[in-house]
Parts: sequence; structure tokens; C-alpha cells
Amino acid sequence: MKSVMIMYDQAFQEKIVDLLTRSNCRGFSCFPQIQGRGSKTGEPHFGTHAWPSMCSAILTVVEDEKVDGLLEKLHAMDKETEMLGLRAFVWNVEKTI
Amino acid sequence: MSLYEGSVKKPIMTSLVFVAIMIVGLFSFSKLPIDLVPDIESNMIMVMTYYPGAASEDIENNVTRPIENTLNSVEHLKHLTSTSSEGTSVVTLEFEFGYDIDVLTNNVRDKLDMVSSALPDACQKPYIFKFSADMIPIVMLSATASESQAALYKILDENVGNPLARIDGVGTVSIAGAPKREINVYMDPNKMEAYHVSVEAVSQAIASENMNVSAGSFDIGSNTYTLRIEGEFDSPAEMNNIIVAHAANGAAVYLRDVARIVDSLEERTQKSFTNGQQGAMIIVQKQSGANSVQIANKIHAELPKLQKQLPPDVKLGIIVDTSDNIKNTINSLTETICYAMLFVVLVVFVFLGRWRATVIIAITIPMSLIASFIYLYATGGSLNMISLSCLSIAIGNVVDDAIVVLENVTTHIERGSDPKQAAIHGTNEVAISVIASTLTMIAVFFPLTMVSGMTGVLFKQLGWMMCVIMTVSTVNALSFTPMICAQMLKLQKKPSKIFLTFYKPIQNFLDKLDAAYARMLNAAVRHRWAVLSSVIILAVVVGGLSFPFIESEYFPTNDNGRIGATIELPMGTRVEKAEEIAKRLTDSWNKKYPGMIKVINYRVGQAGSGNSFASMSSSGPHIISFNMSLVQSNERDKGLIAICDEMRDEVSKMPEIAKYEVLAGGQQGGMGGQNAAEFEIYGYDLNQTDQIAKALADSMRNNPSFVQVKISRSDYEPRYQVEFDREKLALHGLNLSTAATYVRNRIYGATATRFREDGEEYDVKVHYEPMQRISVEDIENMMIYTPTGAGVRVKDLGVVKEGFTLPTIERKDRQRMVSVTGTMADGIALSKGVKIGQQYINNMELPANVTVQVAGSYEDQMDAAKDMSTLFILIVILVFIVMAAQFESMTYPFIIILAIPFALVGILALLALTGTNLNIMSGMGAIMLAGIVVKNGIVLIDYTQLMRERGMGYIQSAVRAGRSRLRPVLMTTLTTILGMIPMAVGTGVGAEMWRPLGISVIGGLSVGTLMTLIYVPVMFCIFGSSTIRRTRKKLRTQRELNEYYLAHKDKMVRDRVNKKIED
Repeated sequence: MKSVMIMYDQAFQEKIVDLLTRSNCRGFSCFPQIQGRGSKTGEPHFGTHAWPSMCSAILTVVEDEKVDGLLEKLHAMDKETEMLGLRAFVWNVEKTI
Repeated sequence: MSLYEGSVKKPIMTSLVFVAIMIVGLFSFSKLPIDLVPDIESNMIMVMTYYPGAASEDIENNVTRPIENTLNSVEHLKHLTSTSSEGTSVVTLEFEFGYDIDVLTNNVRDKLDMVSSALPDACQKPYIFKFSADMIPIVMLSATASESQAALYKILDENVGNPLARIDGVGTVSIAGAPKREINVYMDPNKMEAYHVSVEAVSQAIASENMNVSAGSFDIGSNTYTLRIEGEFDSPAEMNNIIVAHAANGAAVYLRDVARIVDSLEERTQKSFTNGQQGAMIIVQKQSGANSVQIANKIHAELPKLQKQLPPDVKLGIIVDTSDNIKNTINSLTETICYAMLFVVLVVFVFLGRWRATVIIAITIPMSLIASFIYLYATGGSLNMISLSCLSIAIGNVVDDAIVVLENVTTHIERGSDPKQAAIHGTNEVAISVIASTLTMIAVFFPLTMVSGMTGVLFKQLGWMMCVIMTVSTVNALSFTPMICAQMLKLQKKPSKIFLTFYKPIQNFLDKLDAAYARMLNAAVRHRWAVLSSVIILAVVVGGLSFPFIESEYFPTNDNGRIGATIELPMGTRVEKAEEIAKRLTDSWNKKYPGMIKVINYRVGQAGSGNSFASMSSSGPHIISFNMSLVQSNERDKGLIAICDEMRDEVSKMPEIAKYEVLAGGQQGGMGGQNAAEFEIYGYDLNQTDQIAKALADSMRNNPSFVQVKISRSDYEPRYQVEFDREKLALHGLNLSTAATYVRNRIYGATATRFREDGEEYDVKVHYEPMQRISVEDIENMMIYTPTGAGVRVKDLGVVKEGFTLPTIERKDRQRMVSVTGTMADGIALSKGVKIGQQYINNMELPANVTVQVAGSYEDQMDAAKDMSTLFILIVILVFIVMAAQFESMTYPFIIILAIPFALVGILALLALTGTNLNIMSGMGAIMLAGIVVKNGIVLIDYTQLMRERGMGYIQSAVRAGRSRLRPVLMTTLTTILGMIPMAVGTGVGAEMWRPLGISVIGGLSVGTLMTLIYVPVMFCIFGSSTIRRTRKKLRTQRELNEYYLAHKDKMVRDRVNKKIED
């Protein structure tokens, strides 16, 4: 089991939930309306006057074999609209209940 | 869920809610009445008191003054004017606008109750008369006849007058120019003397014979019968056999022995001619509060039916229809609005370059506008010049909110968002600034609803309508627009070829414009002080140069195609002479203005009693009243005022004419009439004020700026009067009123009774044979009978001599007053006329107790100017507050608000260039500009601030923001300006009324926007650099302090410790 943390411009919300459903990743937790800034070119998402847009994040825990497929699709989505910004990070899940 | 999120997710609900609003709006629209200006409630009350037989000075002292003194304390009174003429006192109370006239009337009534007991005994009870604009006739019809001339009154009364009066909303229908049937009993004075009968005895005898009496009921057996005595005449000839007296020898004297009975028409009547043919005139006045256009439409619908019922030789026609002008004006304004809408849509297309976006905007414009009809319908408003101008102004503004939202949503889509998400987040980002910009507009228009006075009446509706439209447009921009964006917009991946060939040049031009502006701005912010001072100097110079060329007036003159003229020949001229002159003038005018005059109608002669319309205007055998209708203003080469001026010129050259008055639009001053400068001369001595008035009027007449000068006090007119010797009267047991009644009955006649036939009643009038009352001797020889029955001649009781009528005494605000009114020539502004008049007055040597004041339209204009400047200041403060709250800064609103003086300079410059006068309409434009022109500044500053927050320097921010915001600024400005152009250059009917409004908005907005584009970034940098300098200085002092502290820290601490130990 691996956890995938997806950070994205909130405009992606529906697309990502849709993607998760299609990829048979049922469980996820969503953090709507969070602030953030990309490391290189990513525009700040602060919800302020100067940077009005906001991010959301989704944390989903999936089987190992699904991770690559998911990341590929996410990357494709990001490439299509680079201006919005979408990143995903994967780390191990040590234990679950 | 926020409003926009909900709307985007529920497109059916959102669109249907707006469809429902549209349907209700269109329903309200179909029910809205049409009018020229908003319904102005009357603010005048007249108190009339009759005191028969009293001279004007007695009336003034005993009736007018007590009434004035009491009524002076009524609340909200603006002016108290009065006229005291022989036997009548009329006190007119003019109230401030905007108060309930019914409440005021009750107050006046209460006060009058207090004063009535203090009035002379013979004086009748004062009665209250509410004067309103409703008394002005709305439709005048003509009826020409040949064979039916004699019976015309009865025909018209039955077949036209009564059916018209039944129309809902019609007040009174009067018929002028058609004599009524009257049965005249002409007495022969010689025979009367011989048989010893008087007019009074005859009239009493006739009255007591012409009667039906019910004698009660009686029983015969088991039945009850009523008993009647029927003595009413079946034909006038029956009267011949009435016994009126008995001769000394006991023989009966029949009426036929002393009189001749003539079943004919009233003796003195007004004749009415339409286009040279004699006939009658039917005047329709509306009920208070009824809508002229609706009534006129109903009358039009009724006319063909009425015509069918009339004898074939009686032809009905329309002389004046006031609704024509209203309808044409409203139609041409509606056309203007359609053009404005088209222009706005074009601008949006050019700037946005997307047809889908353009369609969205085109859908949202009518929505907000139509919603305002619901407001109008709910509050009982009407479609009028003000409410429609308001729509025209609103078109440019309602698109702004939608454009802001649309633009941001598009940006999001272009960045890759799904349209739905883009719509929600895009709207979310700009919601605050959309609401803030609406608040700025509301800060401008809401104060308009609080103005008092005449200006308030005009502006109230405008203010509320704009508030409603702006609110609806904001709600629309935050719900409907995102919803439809989510539905319609999509990422444009490849524009079509046709579109590219068409749009590419526009795109290139706009790109070049952006670049050029950025280059210019870059240079400007680097030489900011030079640029700022040259901009200010330019504004001051332009403003200073154009100001002297601008004249002011109250309200633009409306070319409604109506002319009213009253021409007076010397007193005593016979009616035939008047008729001949009227005919000559009609022919000459018809020849001079071919195709321009629709109808010329004139009336000559003394109006009979019972003609309520004629009793409002003066009439007499020497007075000719003209009523002319011209074809509508855009179908003739000459303006109304020019035609009137020429007519005055022609009339003034005719030696037979004593006095004349030609009124453009059928009325003087006020709203839409020809401007006139009015001077009021106050002073007690009638001779003194007469002389001053005459001198002023003469100087004004010699000045070509005035085309017509009128003195309110009438001349001393010649007349005959019988002066009875009271001692002689008393000796014969008579008094003045009995003697006077005797004389009146013989000349004017005594109405003995009414002759009934076919349900109609006709007066039976007893008087002398016409041939027996044509000389002074006839009057002197009149026999008056004393209570003992003895006859005395008038010449034995007094003398008949030639005298003069006493002038009417006019008072205003409890002082005697005479006014001189000069109508301004075409193209000469009211302010100039007032200036010239004041010069003449200054050159005159006024006696100590005589003062001269400017009144009339100019006074209204000054009031309006005062109201408007207060309003303007209030609006500027409110706008400032809204902006300061939005930016959380005092500097930025200050920078932005500077656009207003520039806009004012623009207004002045364009008014001067086009030779337009400053008036209420252009003032209205200036006030609205306060809100519109700051919007551009807000957009610029907002974005510059955004750039700063994103970490750019001041100069870079200013240039970048300027480049990026140039298009939105130009787009919103162009939508408003192009929305106004049809108004400013319109040639439709009534265009002269709203042209000043369009011109002032265009002038102010274009100059204001150009200046904003230059000085706002410059000022931003000036304030920015000073902020930087201040911050640096602050940091430096802080650092120096810090360094000093660190260097001396040890010593300071040690010193303090030592000091503590010592203590």
C-alpha cells in the first residue's frame, strides 16, 4: 500500500475525483482550500488579492500496482494545463488498521 | 455554497429565475403608462374670494392682506402671491416640491377658517382651488360645419362632448366657438314705460308661469291619484300670452305687447376658426393623475365612431394632441436606446474577439434593464424621458460587471480550467471588486433619491432606477453570467479562418495600441512631475478658456411643435375687425411656412359663461387666441423657436395690434417652454413701480436678445361706468346694488327661467332690444323703479362717464409687485438675458423703497444649481468613502477622485465647443460622471496594487498594469460613450431635451478617461516614491538609533544601576 498526496489548483477537483473513481481508488481524503506555492515556476495559490487562486489536496492510499498508472494519468492531466499546477507525491504506508 | 457556485451547479433554476424576472418585467412594461416627464404633483393652491363691488385697493386691504397674513404661516410655503382685482382676490400659495398636496390643502383650509370671520360681511367665503398641470388641455378637437352651424353646440354636446366625457380619465370637455341656443325676450323700453312694466317684473312673471307643480295625492273611492299642475311652456311662443301687468284702466298687458320673443343663439359668443373655416372647438382636459397618452389613444379610437353619428356637414379634426409629442419623443428615445445597445455589443465584440462572449453580454444587458420596469410598475412610475435616459445611461454600465466576470472566467479557461470550475473560481476571485464597483455606482445614485425640490422630482426616479438596475446587474453578474459562461464558453483551440481574416486586423491594432501606451506610460512615469504639472496646466487652461463661453439655462426648450399666441387689438375694437386680422395672419403664416403647419385654429370674441376652458384665459371682442400645431420637429426645416421669433417680428410690425404674446410650446418657462428672464419689481407705490417696469421693459424691448417683453400689470383700460349718487339713491329708497342690478338686467339680461325641450334646458333671457342699448343716452334713459313703484331714470340718479379700469394689484410674499418678463431669442441663454436685465436695473435710479429681484425660471435654475452642487459634493464624499473602504487606503481614493475635476473640464470644453447651455440635463450628466469616471481609476489602481503585491517595483507595476488594463478601461469607457452618442447627436423628436445630457457625459468621460490613463499611473509612482523615501528615512533613523544604543548600551546600563544603588 502506498499513499499518494495530490496537490492541485482547485479547478482540478472534479477531474481528479473522477480519475480516482475510474482508477478504482475508492478511498481518499480531501483538504479543500489550502494555500501553497510551487518550487520552480508554480504560481502562488494564496487566496489573496494578488494571488486569488487556491489549492486543494487529496490524500489517497492505493495498492502498489495502481500507483504508476495513477501518476501517469495525473502527469498527463498536468501537462495538458500546465498553468494551473498539479503535483503528486508518493510515500509508503507502514501500517493500517 | 456561494451564490455563483449554486448558480453554476443549477443552471435550470438560475436561468428560469431570470426568465421569470424577464416575464414579469415585460408584463410590467406592457402596463407602463407613457409620459414626457415623471408625474409631478402640483404644488400650487389658490384661494379665491369674491367681494362684489369692491375696488382693487379695498380688496387688497380688506381681503387679500388678512388672508395672506394668516396663510403665510402654512408649512413648506415657498412663495405667496396674490392678485387683487375688482371684486376678486386670488391668493396663490406655491409650496416646496415633494409634499403631499392634500395635507397642505387641509392646513390651508384650517387657517382659512380662522380668517373668514375677520373678512368684511359682504365678502363671500373664500374657496380653495387646486391648480395643477392637469388643467392644461390634452386634446383639442375642431368641428367644422356649414348648414349645421346654428345647432352645432347641441350636436357636439350630445354626440361628441358626452361620449368623450365618459372615457375613463377625461375630466371636463368644453365646447368653444359654438353658440348655445337661448330664448331672448327683447323688451321695448318705450312700451315698457308706457305700460309701466320693468324687466324684473317680466322676468318674474315668466318664471312663475313656467312651472310644473305636484299638488299631492287624493283618494277617489278605493283608488289614490296624484294631482299635478303642468304649466311649463311647450314652445317659446306660448310666452307671448303671459300677462305681465295690468294697465291703469285695468286692461291686461300681455308679454307680446311689450316684448319680442326670439328663439335664437347667445348674443355674445366666441367664434372659432380652424384652418380658416368656422366651426367649434372641443377641449378635453384630463382628470388629475390620469395619463395623457392613454386618454388620447382612447379619444383617437373613439373619433371615427363619433364622426359617424354626426350630420354629414360636421367634420371632426384634431387641432392639438399633446400625446403626439410625448409618443414621438418616447419613440425616438427608444430608438436611441436600441442603437446604444447595438454599439455596446459591437464594442464588446471588437475588444473580446469572441462571439460566444459577445452573445453572453448581449443577453445580460436587457435582463437588468427589463428588471427596472418591475420597479417602475410597482411604484406607479411611467416610461418617460428621465426613466428612458436612465436606461440609456445604464446600458454602458450594466455590461461592466458582466465583462469583469466574463474576462476572468475566460482567463481561467485559457489556463486550462474546466468551464464549470473556471466559472465558479473565476467569479469568486472578482466578486468583491464587482460588488465594490456597484457600491461606487450606488454611492452616486442613491443620494439622488434624497434631493428635494423640482430637481428631486426629476432625479428621484432616476436614482432609484439606477440603484435597482445596478443591483440586478450585480446579482446577474454573480449568478446568471457564471452559469451561462459555464454553459457556453469553452477553450478556443483553433479559431476559424473567416474569423481570423476578419478579426486579425483588429487584434493587431489593439496589440499595437497596448504597446504604444506602455511605451508612453514608461516615459511618463519617469518624468512624473513634468507630466503631472503639464496635465494640470492643460486642464486649467482648457477649463478657463471654455468657461466664459458657457451660458446657463434651467431646462432645454422642447420643440413640441405647438404655438400659442394671444393678440390683443386696442380695447373696444369690434369683433369683426379682430376676425379680419386673424384671417390675414393665418393666410400669411400658411404662405410663409408651407408644409410646416398642420393646423391653425383661432378664437375671437367674448366667451360665454359655462365654458370652463375659456374662463381660464382672457377673452374679449378685441382678443384673438391662436392655437397652432406644427408637423413634428424632424420633418421641418425650421425650429419652433425660430418660427415663433419670426411670427413675433411680423406681428410687432402691424400697427393695429396693441399687444401680443407668442408662446413656443403653448407655455412659458418651466420645463420645456421657451426660456424667459423674469424681473420682479417690489414697491408699494403703483405709479413708481409702473414707471420702473415700463422703463425696464422699454430697454429690454430695444435689445435684440429679447423677442417679447411683457409687464404683468395690465394697462389702465378705458371703459364706461355709471356713477350713482348715493344721496339721490337713498332719497328714492334705492341702494347701489338694486340700482346696479337694474342696469345689468337691461344690458346683460336677467335669466328668467329655463325652457325645457327634449330633455335639454335653455336659458330664457329678458333684456332690452339690442338696438335700444347702443349709446350712452340709452343707458342714461333707463328706467329704474323705486320700492313705491315710481320710475326714475338713471341720469337722475347719477352720471354715465368714461373712465379707466383700475389695475390689478399683484403681491408676492406680502409685498406689492409687478413683474417684467422677457422671452429670450433663439439661441440666447437665460443667464445672458438675466445679465442684460440686471445691467439695465443697475443703471436705473431706483427709489429707496423699490427693490428688483430676478425670479421665474432663473430662480428655479439657481435653486436647482444649489441642490445639484450639494448633491455633487455629497456624492464625491460617498464615492471616496466606498473607495477608501475597498482599498483600505486614503491615498488611492485621493488619486482616483482627481479624475472628477478632469471630467468637469471635459464637460465644460465639449459644452463650449458645441455651444450647448449648462442646464439641469447637463448637470445630471455631470453628477452621474462622478461615479462612472472613477471606475476607470479603480480598475487601474487595483491592478497596479496587485502587481505591487506580486512583488514588482512601483514603476514596473504602473507600466505593466497600464498595459494590461488599457483594454478593459477603453472597453467600459467606449461602451458608455457609444451608448450616449445616439443621445448626443440624435435628431429625433425631443432630441434637444437630452442632447445636453449626452454631450456632457461624452465630454466628461472621454477627457476624464484619457487623463486617468495618464495621471493615475504617474500619481501612483509619485506617491510610491515618496513612500519609499519615507520608509528609507524611517529605517535609517531606526538603524542609527539602534547603532547608538548598541554602542552605548553598556554605559547606559551601568549608569542606571549606579543611580539605583545611590538611591
